[in-house]
Amino acid sequence: MSTFHGLEMAKRALFTQQSALYTTGHNISNANTEGYSRQRVNFETLPAYPNGARNRPQIPGQLGQGVQAGSVERIRDSFLDLQYRAENSKSGYWETMSNSLYRMESLLNEPSESGLSNTMDKFWQSLQDLSVNPENTGARSVVVQRGQAVADTFNYLTSNLENMQSDLRKQVDVTIKDANSIIRQIDQINNQIKETEPHGYLANDLYDDRDRLIDELSGIVNIKVHRKESAESSPDNAAGLTQIELVDDSGKSLPNGPVYLVDPTSDTGSTFQQFSLAEADEVNEIKLGNDLVQGLPTGSLKSLIDAHGYDGSDPNAVSYKNVLEDIQTLATEFTTAFNDVQKGGYDLNGVAGTDFFVKDADGNIIVAQEIMDDPALVAASAVANETGNGQNASKLANVFNDKIGGPLGVDASVKSFYEGVIGSLGVAAQEANRMSANTAALKSQVQEQRMSVSSVSLDEKMTNMIKFQHAYNAAARNMTAMDEILDRIINNLGIVGR
Amino acid sequence: MRVTQSMLSNNMLRNLSNSYNNMGTYMDQLTTGKKINRPSDDPVIAVKGMDYRSQLKEVEQYQRNTNEVHNWMDNSDDALDQATKALQRLRELAVQASNDTYDTGERHNIMEEVEQLKTHLIDIGNTKVNGKYIFNGTKTDVKPIGDDYPTDTTDVHIEVSNGIKIKVNVNADEVFGAEAFGNVDSFITALESGDQGEIEKSIALLDENINNVLNARADLGARMNRLELIEHRLGSQEISATEMMSNNEDIDYEEVITQLITQESVHRAALSAGSRIIQPTLLDFLR
Repeated sequence: MSTFHGLEMAKRALFTQQSALYTTGHNISNANTEGYSRQRVNFETLPAYPNGARNRPQIPGQLGQGVQAGSVERIRDSFLDLQYRAENSKSGYWETMSNSLYRMESLLNEPSESGLSNTMDKFWQSLQDLSVNPENTGARSVVVQRGQAVADTFNYLTSNLENMQSDLRKQVDVTIKDANSIIRQIDQINNQIKETEPHGYLANDLYDDRDRLIDELSGIVNIKVHRKESAESSPDNAAGLTQIELVDDSGKSLPNGPVYLVDPTSDTGSTFQQFSLAEADEVNEIKLGNDLVQGLPTGSLKSLIDAHGYDGSDPNAVSYKNVLEDIQTLATEFTTAFNDVQKGGYDLNGVAGTDFFVKDADGNIIVAQEIMDDPALVAASAVANETGNGQNASKLANVFNDKIGGPLGVDASVKSFYEGVIGSLGVAAQEANRMSANTAALKSQVQEQRMSVSSVSLDEKMTNMIKFQHAYNAAARNMTAMDEILDRIINNLGIVGR
Repeated sequence: MRVTQSMLSNNMLRNLSNSYNNMGTYMDQLTTGKKINRPSDDPVIAVKGMDYRSQLKEVEQYQRNTNEVHNWMDNSDDALDQATKALQRLRELAVQASNDTYDTGERHNIMEEVEQLKTHLIDIGNTKVNGKYIFNGTKTDVKPIGDDYPTDTTDVHIEVSNGIKIKVNVNADEVFGAEAFGNVDSFITALESGDQGEIEKSIALLDENINNVLNARADLGARMNRLELIEHRLGSQEISATEMMSNNEDIDYEEVITQLITQESVHRAALSAGSRIIQPTLLDFLR
């Protein structure tokens, strides 16, 4: 039993409680930091004295030597991370899809008093008016103007769908850049951790950073995280390095063998791979490093690609490509059918009708210039030189409800086809909204559990602070006691009778 | 389960945002009066809504078309009525002139009146409504009786219901044709020559004219009856289409207002609970 055993022990207690107080301070400081996990100082009792050696002093029992700070550990449940990331990919997919379809719905604007449907109804009405008053130039002008309004609406929808589609294309680019930047950062953090852990430290704040980045990445593509040890000498509870694998929707490796975004064990030189588009004008072919990704998993990237649409995508899916094609088909079929009827009739001058709708140099649909200039050229009459004959105008009106068939589908009319487009858009958007809400709810549930484990509770920190402060004070008091003992021995012992 | 401040505040924010979202939906519904504003709110209602809108527009348009049919038929009927009166006066004059006691001078006076009546008939035949000659088939821009008599006997059809077209004009050839005016002309010739036998023949010929006009009116009357039936049906179609559209997409105000008020109280409760939960920490009680 050494003389200064008590002092030494009290000093270590002071240091240890102090480190716990510092960590509490760190926790409080980061109470609102995103991705921060609360940290805890693991107290360890020191080995008791004496140890069981042959030269041990014979004293009645082992004496404790006090406390030391073993390690500073973050409190986190990696299983919850796993759950969170799986939900985050789905949530990323559906939220992005929901946003993309929301814009499409806003553009088509049905049912309303200003959509294509209404414009077509108004055109129909003007044609009916013309059939009743075929000799009336006013009625003819209205037909021409409303015809132009239908053409304008088609052009407006087409050009806006194209714009939105190219916006999605840009978003794909930006998302790929984001993903690449995250991948690089994770790789850098891996490297920093590799330099820290072998010295016996836990790089808690780096782990938090890395987990936050992995969370972000999991919203873009579905990934799986494998833990790799950084070095033999790293502590057992170290998080180690992360190997990030791109996995399919069910969490299994991709069909052509595992693909790694970040691979610290790689021996090929680079420990990470970057996404890129294989072809500038094709969104669906994504390369990782030099290889094409087979079966890109769910996530916001996939969602953007699906919403954009590509060659070979499901023709029944609601994507910008398909809806754009539908609107274009509708425009072509409608104008062709309309022109055919127009050519079967006669205008006010008794001359057979010519094309009502034509395309201008830019490919936009317009009402033929000569008809714009002279509405008398609308072929309202079914017989030449019958001014009061409105039979053909009535046939023109029927184009909307006639079963045109052909590319529009069996028994489909212009109106029913368009209703079909809106109907399937509605169903797809509804599903996207519902799935987006569901996955967000699941995600937030996991997030809540995760916060329950890892987030900072100020009450708890206050309690801890008081606890550690008291322990600190007590240790100081203990040291005072030791001091008094030594004082007694050194200054007051052996002075009897002096 | 360990619960921390940030969990509580996150939850509160999320719930408040949901609450605002619900209120937004109700406000949208109340201000637009519609259950849905986008197809995704309810695709079935949306597509049906588009359909009902078109249906309603169709019915409205057909009602407009029937007005035009009325225009044609009422004016034709009016003209035929006047033609009948003129022809009856002609017949009266023919009967009068066939009387032996009339001398040449008196017959000449009658002839002058007959000639005026003929001009009147020509005017009736040239009736123009809304810039259209209604007694010249589909050649509504050509004056039917000038040098010539109406030859175009094509029917003018107007669509009054989906696929149903109704003939709106009168076959002018029978009423104002060359034969009809021929009969009047031969009466004038007979009056001029004073040939009593010829004048008596004219009575029979004018009877024929009157009959033709009456037949045309009877035919027109039958069609007007049909038009009334169609109008009646369009009227009830309009009501039912409007009602279907309203049932399909209009909100039940009482219901939505009640929901909004419920949501408001939930929101108030959430706010007040939130303010209580968020405020105090242990810190407030430590000295």
